Amino acid sequence: MWETLAQAVINGLLIGGIYALVSIGVTLIFGVVKIVNFAQGEFVMIGMYISFFLSYQFGIDPIVSLLVSMPVLFVCGVLIQHFLIRRVLGPNDMPQIFLTFALSLLLLNLSLMLFTANYRTVHTWYSDEAFHLGGLYIPYAKLIAFVVAMGLSGVLWLFLHTTDMGKAMRAASQNKDVAMLMGINPNRVFCVALGVALALAGAAGSLLMPFYSAYPFVGQVFVLMAFVAVVLGTLGNVIGALIASLMMGVAESLGIQFVGADSGLIVVFAMLLLTLAFKPNGLGGGRAR
Amino acid sequence: MNKNRKNSVINNADRGAPRPKRQSRRQFLIKTGGVLAAGTFGAVPLRGWAADPINIGALYPTTGSMAQIGVGCVAAAKLAVEMVNEAGGIKSLGGAKLNLIISDVQSDTTVTRTETDRLITGNKLSAIHGCYASALTLIASEVAERAKVPLITGSSSDQLNKGRTYTFTPFARASQFAKAQLQMAKLGNEQAKVAVIFENTAFGTSTSNGLKELAPGEGVEIVMFEPYSAGFTDAAPLLNKVKASGANTLFSLSYLNDLILIVRTVRQIGLNIAINGGSGGFVMPDFYKNVGKPAEGLQGVAHWNHDVSDDAQKVNVEFKKRTGEFCFEYAGGLIAQTFMLVDALERAGSADPQKVREALSTLDVSSGYAAMAPGGKVKFGPDGKNVYGRPVGVQWQNADLASVFPKEDARAPLIKS
Repeated sequence: MWETLAQAVINGLLIGGIYALVSIGVTLIFGVVKIVNFAQGEFVMIGMYISFFLSYQFGIDPIVSLLVSMPVLFVCGVLIQHFLIRRVLGPNDMPQIFLTFALSLLLLNLSLMLFTANYRTVHTWYSDEAFHLGGLYIPYAKLIAFVVAMGLSGVLWLFLHTTDMGKAMRAASQNKDVAMLMGINPNRVFCVALGVALALAGAAGSLLMPFYSAYPFVGQVFVLMAFVAVVLGTLGNVIGALIASLMMGVAESLGIQFVGADSGLIVVFAMLLLTLAFKPNGLGGGRAR
Repeated sequence: MNKNRKNSVINNADRGAPRPKRQSRRQFLIKTGGVLAAGTFGAVPLRGWAADPINIGALYPTTGSMAQIGVGCVAAAKLAVEMVNEAGGIKSLGGAKLNLIISDVQSDTTVTRTETDRLITGNKLSAIHGCYASALTLIASEVAERAKVPLITGSSSDQLNKGRTYTFTPFARASQFAKAQLQMAKLGNEQAKVAVIFENTAFGTSTSNGLKELAPGEGVEIVMFEPYSAGFTDAAPLLNKVKASGANTLFSLSYLNDLILIVRTVRQIGLNIAINGGSGGFVMPDFYKNVGKPAEGLQGVAHWNHDVSDDAQKVNVEFKKRTGEFCFEYAGGLIAQTFMLVDALERAGSADPQKVREALSTLDVSSGYAAMAPGGKVKFGPDGKNVYGRPVGVQWQNADLASVFPKEDARAPLIKS
């Protein structure tokens, strides 16, 4: 019994790490640029395909290909902010929603055209191996993904709290007008925010590749969880999104284990409703950090 | 004129795009040549007249979510037609060639309805085959029934045998698959304790209920029976549960992506369990490519396999040459179906769909390409079901799919896990 419980918690934490990378990206964009990026899942998908093709063509390990997928998606983020999102930032939310939604549809169908609907998987020596501890097991691929995800989250936290750009980003997220008065160039800050968020999505994609199949719709699976985590952890709050993602992973896993295999998401959404009933602004209590 | 017509046939088989042109050309021929010939010569058949090509409709999803298998089906359909035409066409019709008219049903039920309708009204068809996916075939079959054009299909839904007179199903039915899976479980382990996990969709629920009903009769104990949400992010929690149930055999009724995750996770856990992945995506060459070595020893069921007969192996070699992959169940099945149509056309001596239907209903073959099916015999009952139809149990062995069950169809012994 205890072993089953412990294993369920481990499984939940491991997948929660991936949810965290996606949701931190969404929350960062929302916090800083104040738009909801519906296309975040598609960037995870692009990250996966980058890793897949690097592995397929050149035999590069998906984890190593992080070094390619993250910069590529960072540049994508900067370009998207500079050429697309900047033009629709205004008092009206509608164009922004349509823009990111359209971007999502465009990327989805483009990848269907280019990569077809086939599933693509990568095999690494650690893909099907696990670290055994008593009766418990921890798959290497997921452990690596979790550790790297937590590491990247830590780096992001340091970036936001110690560098000028990071502080400017937090300032812009707290009060854009005052930040501008203090001499912060919002477009530059927004470009970096988009870049960082997309780089995190790319990282999530690369980290998923050793144990998950890439296909055009793959982003949709993860983005739903990310949106829940973002709301649960207070919109715009990076630490909140991280903690909420891990909680959701565990809640889902425990739900599957003890309620029913088709009830994992029910438990997650019940948790979301309960949290919102008592803390309407999410776990972060309304403070965007 | 003859040369023109031949060109149009090739155009169509290859692309299907210049369809309006071909149709107008045909209409032109009917209105001029046809009327002229009929008027001048009455009912006396002309040489060129008798060798008119026989139109066979092929409905497959070559775009959309089911495209992967649909594209393979089209490749097989073309191969089958070439085999027939190279062997001299339909002899009783003066060596008439088969003309394949392919239509993309786009993995969509609404499109299937309109495309089937368009295919039938726009062309003089003798028969149709398709659509591999049961949900689509059920729609196509309804339209074909109303238009009185025979439809032959490898789809396994039992519903295709209810209240239909123009629909023929030469292969095992869905209800037979469950029984075969349970018997295979017993073959692998006398004290089979089965965990059934199924996605909570129409497909998963109906198939799993079939298993549950049949299990006691087959002497198989079901220790876990669990629906799950299709398209999960992680299979580990579900398999943690399977592990706790103490099962020694796992039936996973899942679509490809979930199944890949499940198999990989089973290996990570180090769970020693026999897995039966059913049919569909599991018996496709792509499954092995995606899963790799951990797929070795996995079992499934199929309505056709490339080693069921010598003829099937010959077809497999040719198919492999063209596509690079072995001939998968639907592809092989529909090559056999094309030859069943040829047998019916030969005996009917006519391209008239009603006569082809009559000839199909009295089909009785036990040799040649038409009979390459598990069991090796095809004869349709009044419900359009092959009275000899049975599924074949398969297992991934050395990167190939080997038939292992039942004994009469087995080409390799079942490897126990």
